[in-house]
Amino acid sequence: MSRFYLHQQIANGIIEDPDGTEAVDLTAAKHEAILAARQLLANAILTGMPPLGTAFQITDEAGEVLLTLAFIDALPPGFIATD
Amino acid sequence: MPHPTQSFVRNGLLSVIDAAAYAAIGPHLEPVDLPKGTVLIEAGKPFTHAHFFNSGIGSIVVSTEDSRRVEAGIFGREGLSGFGCLLGADQCPQTTLVQVEGEGYRVSIGALRNACQQSNSLHDTLLRYVHVFISQTSYTALSNVNQSVEGRLARWLLMCHDRVTGDDIALTHEFLSIMLAVQRPSVTTALHMIEGYGFIKARRGHITIVDRDALIDFADGMYGTPEAEYRRLIGPFG
Repeated sequence: MSRFYLHQQIANGIIEDPDGTEAVDLTAAKHEAILAARQLLANAILTGMPPLGTAFQITDEAGEVLLTLAFIDALPPGFIATD
Repeated sequence: MPHPTQSFVRNGLLSVIDAAAYAAIGPHLEPVDLPKGTVLIEAGKPFTHAHFFNSGIGSIVVSTEDSRRVEAGIFGREGLSGFGCLLGADQCPQTTLVQVEGEGYRVSIGALRNACQQSNSLHDTLLRYVHVFISQTSYTALSNVNQSVEGRLARWLLMCHDRVTGDDIALTHEFLSIMLAVQRPSVTTALHMIEGYGFIKARRGHITIVDRDALIDFADGMYGTPEAEYRRLIGPFG
């Protein structure tokens, strides 16, 4: 298990993940980020307020960015038309 | 064994009952510390003790076999754990644990039942508390399906604020995410938003309530009714 941090990119900076999460590997951390992004988008849709964030930066404990996941890419396949 | 006098106890139920009711329960109260994380009632295991809190917060949690969890309710110095024994049950499917450390009294289930047989007014007061607790879980259900994550968080912070001394609450995002059954980043974002409105200050592992009235407005009617029910039926609260 390793500790991964899901920092959120917002319009004027970053919302930091203070605690991080334990995951077996980056694939598992990405899976968690996908579920989290869907929930943030769903909450934004329900409230009618645009989401604060646009993407997750998944980092390791040293703060190195391992992966960037745009929230829009977290939607289930076929959910919206993209081109 | 010496036991606490009624004027000394801070638990909201034990301090409002009449002298005869206290005489029935008081001799059976054992002072206990309630460290964070202590499991007071284990799901599916027979009740052994009920706990009357003087301080701290207890949490009643339901979970599936694959560890999906949600908090069903909270209580503090206004209530007690293990009240299923007052309703004729020997165990329950929920887990009760200490989420903010405190202290209180424990009483064996047998002694609590006997005390309730001796004193109808004790029994009635405790059952009124069960009624208030059911009101709380009803509002939690309403909030869970009708409110945004930030609205639910606001309500929940108010409920914790009622049960701590001062304006600081020690909670991690991970813990909040379990209690609200949302992903951790949803908690982080909701805290960021509520802090941006000036209602709270969030530091790592720590939340300070800054503007309680604004939080109540933000909770949009989901907070306050069970609390008013407690004041109406039992006594001072919060």
